[in-house]
Amino acid sequence: MGANAQTAVPVFTAGQVLTAAQVTQINTGIPVFATTTTRDAAFGGTGEKTLAQGQYAYIEATSSLMVYSGSAWIAAGQTPGLVLVKAQTIGSAVSSVEVTGAFSSSYDNYLISLEGGVASTGCGLRLTLGATATGYLFAGTFVQYTSSTVSGQFGGGTNFEIGYGSTNALSAEIVLGSPNLAKVTTFRSRGADTSTTGYMNSYSGFLNNSTQYTAFTIATTTGNMTGGTIRVYGYQNS
Amino acid sequence: MTYKIQIDDLIRDATDEEAAAIKTKEAEAAQRAQADADKAAARQTVLAKLGLTASEAQALLG
Repeated sequence: MGANAQTAVPVFTAGQVLTAAQVTQINTGIPVFATTTTRDAAFGGTGEKTLAQGQYAYIEATSSLMVYSGSAWIAAGQTPGLVLVKAQTIGSAVSSVEVTGAFSSSYDNYLISLEGGVASTGCGLRLTLGATATGYLFAGTFVQYTSSTVSGQFGGGTNFEIGYGSTNALSAEIVLGSPNLAKVTTFRSRGADTSTTGYMNSYSGFLNNSTQYTAFTIATTTGNMTGGTIRVYGYQNS
Repeated sequence: MTYKIQIDDLIRDATDEEAAAIKTKEAEAAQRAQADADKAAARQTVLAKLGLTASEAQALLG
């Protein structure tokens, strides 16, 4: 517990003589607590202030500033547009990585980022949702770094294509719309191959069912991948 | 060949069924890559017959 952390938010009576410690305690501006537990215990008890809307608190454990809304403690200040939901490090020589607990009712839309690591050989990266193996529809374009020719790609059926792996790095960026809602899941991806004769791609499409997904899997089209991080971000709904 | 599957932080060998599915996917990807290569080769053949470079052909179509 830091030097400014307190365990109570006292209330005083008329004519009460305050000690130096008590004055110090009310002289800290926003009260500082070690944890949310000590914060919650500091209000509403005998000789303590009643918790009410507009009360601020700083939590040492999470370095976070919070404000009481009248019914709950919420993060104070500007709400970020993207919130990190999960970060998954890729293991050694795996053909696929399933990330569970990625989607929930907390957010409608998600950004998935895959960077770092290496592939055992040049490969494509594909994405599936839950255990679904059909209904993936997408189209888009890809261009080789050594050519100005724009090529088309379409199809899928059994997966979305999302990016590339090489012996230099893995790379994909995917936006999924409504994966946890009871409606079709929309899909957009961009990938940057990191081999000198590689490709860039930009694909869009949708998964044609109304399944509510919580997990997804990223896999190589050949070979395997080692290292790198898959990060899942939720877009704030409001 | 042994394939490894990762689920969150757990890494295990693929089951026979999973390995077969991975092989099928690999074959599909190889087939698609070959089709793309064949298409690019065919395009190049046509350009050669016309005596155009790729950028000249693109300018013509654009």
